Amino acid sequence: MDLRDRLLRHRKDTRLIVGGLALLLFVLAAAFYLLQRGRDLPAVLVANRLLLFVLWYANVVLILIVLFVLLRNLFKLAVERRHRVLGSKFKTKLVASYIGLSLIPVLLLFLLAAELLQGSIDRWFNAPARPVLEQGSAVAQALYRRVEEDSLRAAGRVLAEVAELDLESPAERTALARRLRALAAEHGVDLLAVYEGTEFVQAVVDPRAGLPDLPEPGRDLLEEAVREGRALRRQAPPGGRGRLLLAAAAEPGERLELTTVVVAGDVLEPALAGRAEALMQGEQSFRQLEVQKDDLRASHFLIFLMMTLLILLASSWVGLYLARRVTVPILALAEGTRRISGGELSHRVDVEADDELGVLVSSFNRMTAELEASRALLERRTEELLEARQLAAWNEAARRLAHEIKNPLTPIRLAAERVLRKQRAADPGLGAAIEEGVEVIVREVGAMQAMVDEFSRYARMPRPRPVRVDLGKLVDETLHLYRGVKPGVAVEGAVAPELGEVWLDPEQIKRALINLLDNAVEATPPPGRVELRAAAADGHLEIRVADTGPGIPPEAKEKLFLPYYSTKGRGTGLGLSIVHRIVTDHQGTIRVEDNRPQGAVFTIELPLQA
Amino acid sequence: MTRGAALLWLLLLLAEGGPKASVSNLQVAVDGERALVSLVLRNAFDGALLARLQSGLPTEIVYRFELLRDRKRWFDRGVAENTLEVAAVHDAVTQETTVNYRLDGKLIDTRTVRERPAIERAMTRLERVPVFSLEGLPRRQRLLVRARAEFGTRMVLGLLPARVATAWAESRKFRPAAPAPSP
Repeated sequence: MDLRDRLLRHRKDTRLIVGGLALLLFVLAAAFYLLQRGRDLPAVLVANRLLLFVLWYANVVLILIVLFVLLRNLFKLAVERRHRVLGSKFKTKLVASYIGLSLIPVLLLFLLAAELLQGSIDRWFNAPARPVLEQGSAVAQALYRRVEEDSLRAAGRVLAEVAELDLESPAERTALARRLRALAAEHGVDLLAVYEGTEFVQAVVDPRAGLPDLPEPGRDLLEEAVREGRALRRQAPPGGRGRLLLAAAAEPGERLELTTVVVAGDVLEPALAGRAEALMQGEQSFRQLEVQKDDLRASHFLIFLMMTLLILLASSWVGLYLARRVTVPILALAEGTRRISGGELSHRVDVEADDELGVLVSSFNRMTAELEASRALLERRTEELLEARQLAAWNEAARRLAHEIKNPLTPIRLAAERVLRKQRAADPGLGAAIEEGVEVIVREVGAMQAMVDEFSRYARMPRPRPVRVDLGKLVDETLHLYRGVKPGVAVEGAVAPELGEVWLDPEQIKRALINLLDNAVEATPPPGRVELRAAAADGHLEIRVADTGPGIPPEAKEKLFLPYYSTKGRGTGLGLSIVHRIVTDHQGTIRVEDNRPQGAVFTIELPLQA
Repeated sequence: MTRGAALLWLLLLLAEGGPKASVSNLQVAVDGERALVSLVLRNAFDGALLARLQSGLPTEIVYRFELLRDRKRWFDRGVAENTLEVAAVHDAVTQETTVNYRLDGKLIDTRTVRERPAIERAMTRLERVPVFSLEGLPRRQRLLVRARAEFGTRMVLGLLPARVATAWAESRKFRPAAPAPSP
């Protein structure tokens, strides 16, 4: 994946991160809302501990996700560090800092919050609310029971009196109605009703009770009274307000159809019933909370755990994202530096960043642009300089060529003028003068011919044709030509044995060596020494020709390889130019330095490859 | 086993303490095309269940039934499954407990009880509940019913919710009744 792809991926990552953070915020808000509304959770959710299951599995999934994200990225970082990928150390530090900075406070916060919550829950249930609620409910129940017992006593008294009556008799029924009214007033009950089995016989209702109709006691109340001798019911009165407490009495053990059942009832006024029932329901609600205490504790613990895990997940993700965001431009810069140092000055770092790294990238790109412009300018100037030097060299060459041509012309002209003068003067020495003049003219023309031939050869020098050559043998053959040529001057040579065969044009190199040795031997007065050594150095073939002569004056070193330049005052002045040309055509270089302690040394460097 | 695992196992064992609930007296009576199931659930009505009931929270015992063929291989045994949910809600004001019976999600009975023994009886004793239809089953096929009860969840180590259920109990084997002779 190249940097551009990685950059594009990062843009996608940004969207992903923003989306993920938004989702996280939503989840946290929802969790907070649930936490706040914990007491109002749907009954089914609470009853089945569905919330607990959901939270538990959500936490397990989150733990797995957090572990996966962390382990995957830690593994990637470890691999990158092992392969010494640039930026991996920085990324590791950044990720470790982010995770460490978030892990420690989040875990501390989680532990503190969990402990605080557990303590708070325990304190809620240890508070004096429980005995207060229990006592309140007990008082309310005692009130209800007292009213029920009163009603039951009234029902029992009526039952005793009714047992002596013949209810089939209309007169006795009328008397029963009067008696019921009296008993109701005596016992302070709001309702008295007599049933033969399930058949209604007679009833009285206190009009102050606010009952619009005679309430229906229900068959199961009558059955229970017959079965048990007594039965109690608390139900809503027909009007719907307050509470109707019913008590039924019968002779136990007889069949319902054959038994007289008396039902007494009292209506508790709405205000009193409301308060009493609020006490009972309050205690029941407290019991519900107590039953759900463990669930509540576990739910809150799991919600805290879930939030902690979400924060951890987010922080580790953000850490990794930021680490990538920082390291990608750094990697791009490193890659850019590598390319620039390799000469690719047109390379630019294509990473968009709007922070300090962006400034760094811009500066880098500006610097490379300036470098590229400078190099172009330098190349242009160098080219111009080379052209100027070449022009100057050719001017010099033309001047020297003219001078060299002019030199033989003077003796030729003088010889011709002398012959003409002798001839005009009818000098008897004309014949000898002609002979001498012709000799001069022929000699000087011959010299001119040699000079033109040499120049022609220099101008038409062919391109080198490299072949595999045994350099040791070539050097031996060349040195052989100079051994014993100048008494008192030793000519020696050595070729490193590991060189073996090298790729070069043997004829041209031999010519170059001959030119160098020629100059060296000529310049070295006896006793002296000329050495030719060849060895490999830094991937190049290095040939050194050193002598113990007078050396080269500094001002001559610059012009030494120009055509027709000579320090000897004779010769064509093309020898070193030819050497330079041969070396250059072999993609090599030649330089001249002072030999220590005396003399000059010419060093040729040629590439070793073919 | 590592020391940590052994400790966890011990804690789990301790968390499970108390007599184990079980389904007993599982009996099946064939009434025409119906299999009537009776059973008793023992040791399920403990303090925790009673406290939950008295708190007014819906308290549910779910009976799961499976009608099986008398075959050796498990994958060849299943005939039908059914569920009976017995849910009780206590009213603190009237001191009445309403018990609803839902067979396969349909309400089949509602009882109102007042005393604790009556509540326990209503929730843990099933009398001739028509759980399965035997219509269409071959007469020579021997069948059996197995049942278990699930009564909510408990917290393991105060944190992990776990279902509380009895082991499966099996009835004696029976055959579908012969079709009634046509008049």
